[in-house]
Formats: sequence, structure tokens, C-alpha cells
Amino acid sequence: MSAAQALARARGFSWLAKPLPLLLLLGAWTLATGAGWYPRALLVPPQQVWDAFTEMLASGELQEHLSMSLHRLLIGMMLGSSLGLAFGVSMALSKTVEVYTASLFNVLRQVPSIALIPVLILIFGIGETFKVLIVTKAAFFPVALAAYTAVQGIPKNYFEVGRVYQLPGLVLLRRVILPSTVPPIVTGLRLALGRSWGTLVAAELLAAEAGIGQMMEFGRQMFRIDVVMVGVVITGLIGFVLDRAMKLVEARLSRWRPR
Amino acid sequence: MLRKLIGLLGVVIGAGAVLASAAWAQAPGGAQPKALRIAAVAYFSGDKPKFIGAPAVMAEQGWLAAELKKRGVDLEWVPAAHTAVGPLINEGFANGGIDFANYGDLPSIIVNAGGVQTRAIVGSGRGTDTFLVVPSQSTATTIADLKGKRIAIHRARPWELPFLRLLEANGLKYSDFKIINMNPQAGAAAVVSGNVDALYTLNDAYLLEDKKVGRIIWSTKSAPPDWKMRTELWASKAFIDRYPELTQLVATAYVKALWWIAQEQNRAAFVSLSTRPGSPESVTWREYDDAALAWSARWSPLFDDYALNHYRHSVDYALNNQLIRQRIAPESLFDRRFLDTALEQSGARQFWQARP
Repeated sequence: MSAAQALARARGFSWLAKPLPLLLLLGAWTLATGAGWYPRALLVPPQQVWDAFTEMLASGELQEHLSMSLHRLLIGMMLGSSLGLAFGVSMALSKTVEVYTASLFNVLRQVPSIALIPVLILIFGIGETFKVLIVTKAAFFPVALAAYTAVQGIPKNYFEVGRVYQLPGLVLLRRVILPSTVPPIVTGLRLALGRSWGTLVAAELLAAEAGIGQMMEFGRQMFRIDVVMVGVVITGLIGFVLDRAMKLVEARLSRWRPR
Repeated sequence: MLRKLIGLLGVVIGAGAVLASAAWAQAPGGAQPKALRIAAVAYFSGDKPKFIGAPAVMAEQGWLAAELKKRGVDLEWVPAAHTAVGPLINEGFANGGIDFANYGDLPSIIVNAGGVQTRAIVGSGRGTDTFLVVPSQSTATTIADLKGKRIAIHRARPWELPFLRLLEANGLKYSDFKIINMNPQAGAAAVVSGNVDALYTLNDAYLLEDKKVGRIIWSTKSAPPDWKMRTELWASKAFIDRYPELTQLVATAYVKALWWIAQEQNRAAFVSLSTRPGSPESVTWREYDDAALAWSARWSPLFDDYALNHYRHSVDYALNNQLIRQRIAPESLFDRRFLDTALEQSGARQFWQARP
């Protein structure tokens, strides 16, 4: 229980617990801009950010940037997570794959996705390929790692039982491997989604025709700090919503587990 | 738990106090500031920034630093990395990090439209040329040939305005192209690798031609003279109001530098001082090679009708293309008091002629 929750519950305002820190932040922001503690041109008031948001929504500009970014995220996530899943599972099931790839995998896993941006631009240029690839990379490693540890973590006796019943490979996969590994893999996906989103926005800041990151960079160049702030808030909200959605999936898939 | 919440509130209040004290630190204290800060475009080679143009000459002449020292004020040159001069200087003016800057027309219009008040106190000459480059193997010869193609340009930088003029003169709009927002350095790499079909940039276009990777298909040299982008010496209005005498010193030093540059016999020395690291002097020579613009007139600091009309057009363009949202009065961008005195003090009063 957080401090805010504790306080709110104690006073019988438990419904306030979650939005309270947000409201405090908003209040401090309004206060700071209202009192003129900091140049208004740099720390824009929340109202101005809201106005910029509604204006960009009305002109369709925001939707355009968002759909571009989410499109890249979707393709990159699908590619990265399916490749990661296949790789993680095969590394866990086959000793040969593990011996040959584990060390390289563990080295590459440590390279931050953002550090790869310049290299990817050099090889693939500034087009869509590089942005989708950076998301793919960001998604691949957490999912592969989660799949690998999940499959490795399946109790040995499950396989023994499978062998006794002479289950064919596919059935073993569907009936034994998948049910016991899905929850940890979904956790990996959740992590992957968060990282991919952050990396994508960073990549878009550098080079893009459109996208939420490019919208922010352009806002900076145009001295539209309100637009930059709209980007900051939207990036946070999207990340939050995506994470929440994955959490729901996670909870649903873990229903069978004893608590 | 409650203690934690109090701690959290403490952090918020603490942060507010820090912001407030930062604001108070900028409030008028003594009669003179400790330091006077001038920002200018800088190129980094090694660990030392290299300034170009009039600021480089001012630093070399040392007159301003000496005059300020007599008054107990330090002169600080603030390098603005050439990859993002406009935004960096605008942010500097907004957060009170700089007092003066030598930079371009469009970012200055943008920052003033954004509510940060700056004033042009001395002009930097009749303008700088800008170029449209395509990869050397491209078949395009005009901007119209590039319709539907990818063009790299760093948005909100001063060369966006001549680019918009070029489009308009050809009945074209941004939506006719895929405009990619990137700085000239990244843009040059993109031209070389074929990632873009054209780049709109400064005289680094010559460098691409020299390396046989690019071809200039158009430049403002073939356009009306007013299409050139302008830079001026800008000052924060707050600084002007508080320290008019120091402002005058900077203006005079700037005019002295321009006067030196404008002498034909100093041309070679200036070109060598003002060439960017990694770029041969021939690039700078070619940029200044212009039969229509005499060397001395090129460096005219005057705010004549020519300069004012440029800003009238620029504000209109910026507004019509949604680069700014609020109209600002172009006349309000100038504070001419210091230039008059500077011309008098430097003995350059008769040297330049106003232009209609």
C-alpha cells in the first residue's frame, strides 16, 4: 500500500488514492506556471497543453502521428515477439542451439536498443525498415529470455509423463509446454512492449516523416513546448494503457494457477 | 506511511523552492552582470568550438572583451552546436542562459511569436545563400521533378523560408513531397546513401558536389536578392532594458567586426577565419562569389527597407505556413538605437548605403 493510499483510506477517501499523486503534480504544475517561477515560454501551463492537444486532435495531426507510431510498434512487436518466442523455446528445448547461441545471445541482450540506432540508420537508412527493426530488437530479447526461462522452468516430470504416454511433439507443445509457459511469456511480452515503445519514440525523435517522437522533436524546433508536452503526456498514457492491457491478459491467462 | 507522504510533499515544495530561487537569481542585483553571454554557431573539431563569421572576428579583435573587463564584466562565448543552432539559442533566450546571439531570421521570428522578447540590434549583412542538392546520379533538374519524392530539410531553421518561396513560385506545396525533418549533416549522409531524393541546405552543398556525390540544381543565387536568408545580432529585450550601455558596447564591437570584414583587402583573411572545420576554403569562396552583390555591401549592418521588407515577408510566410500562430509586427523586432551610435563610434557611418 502506498503512502497516498494509506492516507486516503484512513480518511475514508480510498477512491482518491490513485489519482491523488497525479492531481498533486498537476496542482504543482499549475501553481509553478501561475506564480511565474519559471519562464512561461518554457514551462507552459497545463491549460495550454490541453488546448494544443484538442487543436491537434481537431486537425487530425495527432491521430496521424499516433497511427504511424502504433503501426510501427505493431509490426515490430509482432516480428520481434514471434522470433523471440521461437528462439527462446528452441534454445530451451535443444542443447545444441543453447550451446551455440547462448553466449552471443547474452552479449547482444546487453546492448541497449537506443545504442543501435546509429548503426541501423547506417545500414538501413532512415526509412521505415530501421524503425521497425529497432522495435523488433527491443521486443525480441525480453520475449526470448522469458520464453527460454519459462520452458526451462517446466518441471522435468511433466516431460516424463509425456514420454510415458508417448505424446507426439505437437501435442506436447499444446498440452504441456504452452499452458505452463504462457504466463511468464506474457510477462516477457509486457516488458517487451514497454521497451519497444520507449525505443521507438527515441528513434522517431532522430529521423522520421511522422510519428509521436517526430511530433515532439518538431515541436521543439518550432519552440512549441505545448506540443512537446502533449507528446510527453501521450507517450506516457499510451505506455500506461498498453501495459495495463498486457497485465489484464496476464491475469486472465494465470487464472488456473493456485494463488 | 503518512511520513512518506509528508516526504513526498517535501520534495514537491523543495523543487518549487529551487525553481523560485533560480528565478530570483536572475532578478536585478548589482549594477552590472558578472558576465555577458553571446551565443553563436560553433563547429566542434577536437574539444574547442570554432566560431565563424562576425563573432569569430569579434573574438579575434578582442575589443569587446577588453572594454567589458574595464567594467568588471566577463565576456562569455556560448557555442551553439551547428546541428541545432535555432532551437538551442531560442531555449537559451527563453531560460535566460544567454544575452545575445548571432543567428537566423526564422528561429528569431518563432521565438518572438512564442512570447520570448528579443530584438535585432545590428544586421549581419545582406544574407546567406541556400541550395537544393540532389544525389549525383539523380535525373532531376528542377524542384518540379522532385514531386512526390523525399526531400530532407531541417524545419524551423532559416533556410526553410527560401525553400517555401521556391515551392510557392513553382505552384508546389509541402504535401507534394515527403518532407523529412533532419539536420544538414544527417541530410548529407542521406543524400550519399540515397535515402532521400534531395536536400535543402547551406553552402555545404558545394562539399557534396566536390565529393561527386551531389549536384546543386538550384540556389538562391539565381533568385531575387531578398530570397537569401538573413542573420542578425539579437539581444534579449530584458538585457537591453537593464543594461543599455553594455548593449551598446556589443553593438559597436559587432559593427567594428563587420567593417573589418567588409574591406576588400581583408576578404582572404576572413574567408580563412570563417571556414568551417572539415570544409575547404574554396567552399566559402564560392559562396561569396556573386556578381550581383558587392563584397562591402554583403556585410551591410543597416536596418534599411531591404531588411525590414525581408522580415515583413518572412513573418507572412511563417504565418501562412503555420510555422507561427501569432502575428508579430516585423517593425517590433528591431531596436535601432544601438546601430546608429555604433556606426558613429566605429567611424563607419558613411561606409554603407541604405537600400530600398
